[in-house]
Amino acid sequence: MTIRTADKPRGPIASTTGPAAVRRRNSPTILVAEDDPVSGRILEKNLTDWGHPILKARNGDEAWTALQNPRVRIAVLDWMMPGMDGLEICRRLRERPRRGYTYVILLTAKDSPTDIIAGIQAGADDYMTKPVNYQELRARLQTGRRIIELEDSLLVIQKRLTELATRDGLTSLWNREAILKFLEEELEHGARDGYATSIIMIDVDKFKNINDLHGHQTGDAVLRAVTDAVGKNVRPYDKVGRYGGDEIMVVLPNCSLYQVSKIAERIRASGAARKLRTGGRSIAVSLSLGCTSSECFPKPSVDGLILAGDKALYEAKRDGRNRVSLSDAVEEGPAFRAGKERRHAR
Amino acid sequence: MRAKRPRTSAPPIIRKEVLKRIGGEEAFLLELLDLYSREFALKTKAMEKAVRKADFKALRELGHGLKGSSANLSLPGLVAAALALETAAEAEDIAGARAALDRLKDEFARLKAYRG
Repeated sequence: MTIRTADKPRGPIASTTGPAAVRRRNSPTILVAEDDPVSGRILEKNLTDWGHPILKARNGDEAWTALQNPRVRIAVLDWMMPGMDGLEICRRLRERPRRGYTYVILLTAKDSPTDIIAGIQAGADDYMTKPVNYQELRARLQTGRRIIELEDSLLVIQKRLTELATRDGLTSLWNREAILKFLEEELEHGARDGYATSIIMIDVDKFKNINDLHGHQTGDAVLRAVTDAVGKNVRPYDKVGRYGGDEIMVVLPNCSLYQVSKIAERIRASGAARKLRTGGRSIAVSLSLGCTSSECFPKPSVDGLILAGDKALYEAKRDGRNRVSLSDAVEEGPAFRAGKERRHAR
Repeated sequence: MRAKRPRTSAPPIIRKEVLKRIGGEEAFLLELLDLYSREFALKTKAMEKAVRKADFKALRELGHGLKGSSANLSLPGLVAAALALETAAEAEDIAGARAALDRLKDEFARLKAYRG
């Protein structure tokens, strides 16, 4: 199975600067699945001449493997092939979980209405009988491209709408609903796979004073700066959300209480006594953080973790702010010791 | 049932038609005919083996495949012979399949002679 292009036959999609290269850059990769070498060669030459990057397959199994490549958005499939036939590939394509749509043109010598109906019902978008009229194929590929482009623009809109529904407008963090959902999912995964999930509740110290003294715009700038500092100090797979007001919540999968205390301290240090310059003024910002972990609970739950995290955050505030507090004062408790032992064992 | 032979005076390839289909490039047509010849040699061996074993499934698939590539290159005699093989295989007619295979070889020899 190889990728071929018109003026550069080797390697992945060729990158030159000619008009064919420009067309190729804008073209989806087309899979040509054809066991007959003559038909395959004619298809290959025509498609590359028209500026399409292509992938070739000589049988159904190779075609199915090629279709796992997300760049393949159009497939020209021969109905009769060794191994899996074109019809079976169509069925499998339509059954697989939805991702980018793949437009399928089925090629066959079968031209009875029953065959055409069978092809379309299996999931083919278009159907051409052999010998193929290549100019007609070219026109039909244009239709395929239009469908793919329409699908892509709809996906962009859908993604944007999902972002609007799950992101906080001011900080671009996950919103409260999204971060709670993530916590719930991670607790389930952790329970199933045997790892701890931890959270950090973060509050900007005396945030109300900042708003009252400097105005809400300054308050917003402080929140964004804190968000930035938190984002830089968590792991790539941790999720940061705006829990409410100036309260930020971090969900940390596969993270013990010991590990979360270290990450929380890193965040605190990055924000502690930080001088934020805004509108010609310099504002000192510090953070209080409360941490807890599922390993502190015999039966961890979203509500239980949030309650414990909030309680720890309250203790950090009560004890003078600009500090990290762990839930249930378990610094020398069983969960903390267990985490420490695991760390030493590694 | 013996397959009916076409008139042998007709050229084995409809050049104008195939050139129109593949974009008019003579060199590309020659490349395709070479590719076809190599494939034909391989398939002939497979067809002979399938006839010996009376493997009708293999014969049907081989006939079908050859019919497709012959049609792509506008080779009417070879298309008809490949169709005769496919039909004989479907009917599980071993004598018909043998005759169709002979006819395929004859038609291919005609194409070879025509190319010179």
